[in-house]
Amino acid sequence: MNLENRKYVIIAFILLVGFIYTSRLFYMQVVDDTWVLRAQEIAEKRKEIIPPRGVMFDRKGRKIVSNKTYYNLMMTEEKITHLDTAAFAKLIGWTPIMVRERFKEIVKGEGVYYNKSSGKHTSNYQKMRAYPFLKELTLDEITKILVHIANFPGFKEEVTSMRTYPYANGANILGYLNEANREDIESKEINADHFYRPGSNIGRSGIERFYEKELRGRKGIRYVVTSAMNNAIESYANGKYDTVAKQAIPLKLGMDIVMQAYGEKLMKGKKGCIVAIEPSTGEIVTMVSSPSYDPNLLVGRRNISLNYPKLARDKDIPLFPRPLQAEYPPGSIFKLVQSLIGMQEGVVTENSGFACIKSMVGCHNHPNASSIAEAVQYSCNPYFYQLVRKVIQQKVKKNLYADAEFGLNKWHRYMSSFGLGRELDVDITGQNGGLIPDSKYYDKWYGHHQWAFSTIRSISIGQGEIKLTPLQMANIAVIIANKGWYYSPHFVKSIGKKGPKANFRKKHKTLVESKYFDAVIEGMRRVVNESGGTAKSARLEDIIICGKTGTVQNPQGKDHSVFIAFAPRDNPKIAIAVFVENAGAGGAVAAPIASLMIEKYLKGKVTKDKESKLNEVDKPIIIH
Amino acid sequence: MRKNDALLSQIDWPLFIAFISLLIFGMATVYSVAFNEEHPNIFAFSEKYGKQMLWLGVSLFLGLLIFLIDVDIYRKFAVPIYIFTLLLLVIVLFMPPINGARAWIGIGSMGIQPAEFAKISTALLLSKYISGLMIKHQTINTVLTGVGILMAPAILVALQPDAGTLVVFSSFLFVMYREGMTFDPIILKLVNRIPGINLKSTWVGNHFIPLLFIVVVLAVLTLIIGEVEFSIGFLPGIIIKGGTGIIITLAFLSLLAFLYIRRFGTKRDRASLTFIIVFGFVFMTALSSSVSFVFSKLARHQKDRIEMVLGLKEDPNGKDYNRNRAMAAVGSGGAFGKGYKEASVSSVESNHVPESETDFIFCPFAEEWGFFGSVFLVFIYLFMLMRIVFIAERQRSAFNRIYAYCVAMILFYHFAINIGMNIGFVPVIGIPLPFFSYGGSSIMSFCIMMFLLLKLDSQRKDVLR
Repeated sequence: MNLENRKYVIIAFILLVGFIYTSRLFYMQVVDDTWVLRAQEIAEKRKEIIPPRGVMFDRKGRKIVSNKTYYNLMMTEEKITHLDTAAFAKLIGWTPIMVRERFKEIVKGEGVYYNKSSGKHTSNYQKMRAYPFLKELTLDEITKILVHIANFPGFKEEVTSMRTYPYANGANILGYLNEANREDIESKEINADHFYRPGSNIGRSGIERFYEKELRGRKGIRYVVTSAMNNAIESYANGKYDTVAKQAIPLKLGMDIVMQAYGEKLMKGKKGCIVAIEPSTGEIVTMVSSPSYDPNLLVGRRNISLNYPKLARDKDIPLFPRPLQAEYPPGSIFKLVQSLIGMQEGVVTENSGFACIKSMVGCHNHPNASSIAEAVQYSCNPYFYQLVRKVIQQKVKKNLYADAEFGLNKWHRYMSSFGLGRELDVDITGQNGGLIPDSKYYDKWYGHHQWAFSTIRSISIGQGEIKLTPLQMANIAVIIANKGWYYSPHFVKSIGKKGPKANFRKKHKTLVESKYFDAVIEGMRRVVNESGGTAKSARLEDIIICGKTGTVQNPQGKDHSVFIAFAPRDNPKIAIAVFVENAGAGGAVAAPIASLMIEKYLKGKVTKDKESKLNEVDKPIIIH
Repeated sequence: MRKNDALLSQIDWPLFIAFISLLIFGMATVYSVAFNEEHPNIFAFSEKYGKQMLWLGVSLFLGLLIFLIDVDIYRKFAVPIYIFTLLLLVIVLFMPPINGARAWIGIGSMGIQPAEFAKISTALLLSKYISGLMIKHQTINTVLTGVGILMAPAILVALQPDAGTLVVFSSFLFVMYREGMTFDPIILKLVNRIPGINLKSTWVGNHFIPLLFIVVVLAVLTLIIGEVEFSIGFLPGIIIKGGTGIIITLAFLSLLAFLYIRRFGTKRDRASLTFIIVFGFVFMTALSSSVSFVFSKLARHQKDRIEMVLGLKEDPNGKDYNRNRAMAAVGSGGAFGKGYKEASVSSVESNHVPESETDFIFCPFAEEWGFFGSVFLVFIYLFMLMRIVFIAERQRSAFNRIYAYCVAMILFYHFAINIGMNIGFVPVIGIPLPFFSYGGSSIMSFCIMMFLLLKLDSQRKDVLR
């Protein structure tokens, strides 16, 4: 046997291994890209930098929503060595049991994500990751802990920012933030761009919610190369793919925080609303929902878990945004719209008179109204009964019922053009549209052609099925002030310097021509400024307020007091609706409040004695 | 001294250049992977690269000494050297363990690993022993003595425990194979006991070592990649299992061998060789299939045991396998690599690949230089191995030839196991990549081994033994 040939066996082995390894390297490094992805997964991390949320200014440039720095105490299990639970618990003011429970909670709850392949919620807790052990500590609180933190390896602080409200007003409008929940994060609609992760904040109500996209800003993304301990080592590719975090541009609100605070003060101890709008722009100057709460109560997880249940359980429902969601019968203020429709329809003129026939519908004692202005001034119920009957029963159809159907639907179209019976295009979510019945509505109740005006007559004086939100009431004042048009009421005057959203720059015209408005306005002037008017308590010496009171019958208790107005009469600067539940006649409570608001807005101050007079009126009104 | 004057012309430059370039690439990779911004100087002895420079300096100095000493001394003193290292291997067992193994002698970081040097002394003694044998007249005794020479240090190494070096000792079996030391006497003794059979030699007995090697490699490879699914990039949608892949590869290789025989084989051999190929293919396919079948029938805990041994499962708590991370580092290098010092997965700082400066040093190199870089490195090793085989065959002295083969096979084992470990073909048994990995003992022992070979080769014309 030739042993020298055996070298070929050895050479074959060497070359075979070389060939196999070369092929394998070619496959791994050139063909198969799973390893590239795996390597990215292992070593390259996206670090998200969340910018502080956009701030908000009021119409006078006062910062009303801002951010404050808070601290989280982060823990990394892997780095924790020999934790003296008792000492640690003492440091953070807990019991050792609470500390242990919190550990368990973090391990179970943090980093839970939806695993698409298994369809289950899986915990992605990793010992090497940092998780917040304590959240939202103030500088004082974290300082106390940081002094001794060196004794507790594995814990460190992290800076975060949270909302702060320099003025404790407007909570229902501004809304609040809380942590995005699982539904938010998994929602394709909300989280299409994967912005939200567990722990991210999201606007939960009010402007914070509606303008979420405008306020949240742009996340900064840093691609870093990380170590096995999850520490960033260096930026990836010298930061070529990084983006800088960018805070959103500030929102400028139409709200005047001083007016808001004043309105809340006036409404203290009462249930109801004030809505004030600038007629020429549609900007909401004030929207008081009473009772309300301090928005700072709902900042951060700790506060929310502490205060939210209390607020939610409160029987005065402070979380309920009345101006947007409460639906009330409008009462006599509805007569303004009825007059306008009557004139436009040609069933009356501004000089039409109707006798005050109390057998038709109850009324108080006053001279017969011989014009629209007088009818408004006296708020004569029989007058509007007869007026609206003419609108509904125009005798176009031979059949009484068909005629009523025809008339009601026409009337409904008018109402709709006033923004009634439907949601207004407001920049806030959670709004109700009120109710303006049409023929289908009554068909459902009474059956087709089973009803006529006599059946539905209470709509003529703003009672019965009619329901308006206070916002809609204020918008009626806006329309009258503008003589027939309005911009959709909105809170945000300008996003940065870009102005309001496009839909708030579009004029909405009502179906009533502007020439018919003068008679109604004259009536409203008389309501406040002439003897025999129902709201003389609202009169100001040097400003002509035009208004209309309403006293809404309330089967459950005392009547609601309502008043809508605008001022000054020429070139109006403010339109307002005040609604006070169970406060009696409109002229008694709502009108003086509106008057004070107008005075304060237009002159910057109010006559003191008037304010105190209001407080006297207050006293008998006990809400419960 | 005529011999030393001619040293420069006598030295084998291709091998020397390959050897030195590996040292340079290795040093550069250690510098890159362990780089610390605070001590950027490559001579910063507080850092691993500074220490490695020191080891390199010591190794080159030892190399110089080796060139100055007469070659006869290694042959003459092969037995004392061998016994001395055995003693060291015994002493080391009483040393305090480091990382669970009693492998170091010395104080602190300046310890040495006798196991690394035992390879050299075993190579020397084996060379001396085999070169003195009448190779045609082997008995069971001569075979067992040869095996004993390598078994003694191997067992001591296994006690440390150091599985990697233990495996490396089996590389000497290939040297024995090349030199004609077969296991045939043992096999004949077994076979001839059967009545009616009286063979003078058996094919299996003569080629027992490579056959054993193939069987073991095939079984291990089946266990490691048998269940892994491969998709083929240029044939999208086709996913084959590793087990199937092994059988396809076997069929392909058999076909190649068959064609080779048809073309080059003599008529006399053709029939028997064809039979061996067909039988070999059937046997190996059966072996691979039965290994995966048996494995699939094992109980869960038995599987876990085997997977732990193979490095498929290291941390029962579900952390990523080292191997998986190493493969991610290699695979993410792409065709051209991420660039020098740009390794993101396998740098020491990031610590995603443990031991990336020692056993897994191929990772950072492959990550930095990509496919072309890593294949270039593979080619240098292949070139070096082929060159050593070439050098071995040109020796006049049997001692020199056997020693050269020992070096070739040790390097081959280290190369094949270490890189195989990095690309997921071989269980994770910690052995260094020669001339590349950080570590004083390994650098020094490989350098001494190589300088000895260069020295022996440079004087091949002077000796006739």
